[in-house]
Amino acid sequence: MTKPTSASGAAKRAPGAGAPPRRGRRVDPIARGIWPFALPAVVVTAVLVLAPIAYTIWLSVSDRQADGTNAGFLGFANYTEMFADSEFWNALKVTVFLFAVCLIVETLLGLALGYVMSLDVPGRRIFQGMMLIPAITASVAVGLVWLLIMDPSLGAANQILAKVGVDPVVWLGDPDIAPWSIALVDIWQWTPFMALIIAAGIRSLPEEPFEAAAIDGASGWRTAWNVGLPLLRPVLTVAMLLRTVDLVRFFDTIYIMTQGGPVNATNTLNVYGYNTGFVDNEPSYAATLQIALLVLVVLIAGVFTWFRQRAAR
Amino acid sequence: MTKRLGGIYAAYVVFGVIFFGPVLFMLWSSLRNNVDITGSLFNLASPLTLENFTGLFERFDFARYIGNSFVVAGGSTLLGLVLGAPAAYVIVRRKLAALGFLTLLARMAPGVLFVLPLFVLSIRVGGPDSLAVNYTLLIVAHLIITLPLCIWLLVPFFEEIPASIEESTLIDGANGWQRFTRIALPLALPGLSVALTLSFVFSWNYFLFALALANEQTLPLTVIAFNFIGQGSNDFGGLMAASTLISAPALLLTIFAQRWLVRGITGGAVK
Repeated sequence: MTKPTSASGAAKRAPGAGAPPRRGRRVDPIARGIWPFALPAVVVTAVLVLAPIAYTIWLSVSDRQADGTNAGFLGFANYTEMFADSEFWNALKVTVFLFAVCLIVETLLGLALGYVMSLDVPGRRIFQGMMLIPAITASVAVGLVWLLIMDPSLGAANQILAKVGVDPVVWLGDPDIAPWSIALVDIWQWTPFMALIIAAGIRSLPEEPFEAAAIDGASGWRTAWNVGLPLLRPVLTVAMLLRTVDLVRFFDTIYIMTQGGPVNATNTLNVYGYNTGFVDNEPSYAATLQIALLVLVVLIAGVFTWFRQRAAR
Repeated sequence: MTKRLGGIYAAYVVFGVIFFGPVLFMLWSSLRNNVDITGSLFNLASPLTLENFTGLFERFDFARYIGNSFVVAGGSTLLGLVLGAPAAYVIVRRKLAALGFLTLLARMAPGVLFVLPLFVLSIRVGGPDSLAVNYTLLIVAHLIITLPLCIWLLVPFFEEIPASIEESTLIDGANGWQRFTRIALPLALPGLSVALTLSFVFSWNYFLFALALANEQTLPLTVIAFNFIGQGSNDFGGLMAASTLISAPALLLTIFAQRWLVRGITGGAVK
């Protein structure tokens, strides 16, 4: 069955084989006339993704009222308002804070967990499965569980602290502590995700450099730092990029646990944008904030990609 | 060697307590009564009960919320597959990596950015009042999640199909559509089931669109659970039972389809 198949495949390719290979243009016979199949998906994606972005841009330069009427083109008034808005700068600060804290801790802890996950021992798959659960559990469930754990009077966290003689912590009610608590939840939810990527990266590393280092008598830590980490850099960059994109538009667990409070201490750009649109009923300004956020995400992703390509060269 | 093994398993236990502990806490709390949950974390012998679960169904129209979650996640997943499978096939056969850019944009754009226009659209087409319109809107909105995911997951499965198998049918005069439906699609069947399960779970988990678009009748599980928080509910057992029900598809998926899950959540960072 396989033999005639490959033979005819070879026969089909034969005419082009002798001639010098031409670049591009020529479409594989089996790829001819199939492009319309992709049309529905392309149209739907374009409508679903590009249309909302276009509409949001229009909203941000026009003056849509809470009652649904639009007072028309406004120019960049919303944007100048944004730059003069102290809450926007606070939201940017909160976003950057959560981004930095979470990314650093998740990367370091992810390296440790990823190393453990990469080791071939009996039970590895079961362990990996358990570690996967935080990342694929619905944010609503994650938020509910952590609300209960961090409950000021009855929560599990304070019960544990009481056991070791530490005073109860107001995890989510104190503006100075709440951002750290939110960071803790994100670190819990996404460190295993980092570790998973890192573990796969470690498992695909070539063995020779490590053997060479062992022959040279380098210690385990030195080998990890001087040989392992540089080899792991491409994988690490991808993992950090994925986390970065998600952290810059951090929304779910914050909205579930604090809605941006207390006193805006956890009010990220995305949460601020949502509240402006749906609680304060200012659609045009909310749109402006969303466009700012989109620009930020695309910029950061662009910088990361640029670094990655430069590193690959 | 055994000493090293002991060290690794010690690390398993530490990481297990940190990252799996809260999940166990949720499952366990869903089976305890409220006095025990809030009173004594360390009382392992406290009685277990199913009352938290039965209570949900008695006090709320919980079967309906579960049904809504199924309709939205199921509908958006099927649509995602129907649209995504042919697209993934074309991407592979025509080597259209550039098409992935649109998908990338969908992955990077903040969800709130879609909610605002969708909300305006919803009001214009009578979404808040009509059941059918509301379900349709929710399913279409969730396509933003499922369609890119389906395409992304299916591409490697089509890539694995050797071109020679399809070339052999050129002689029979099979056209592109026939090659796709009779040869490529059946061979990519494992991929279809992977995309089906994963995008179902991701769509099931997503709560932002329904938060803004759903009406009283179309609320899915995630949003009703979120509303409990807003009402300041102190029924912790009930909340944990609801969380457990919400997490059920994800937990089942980890048990039965771990390998594919890794690919689904890492989004191409690892092979």
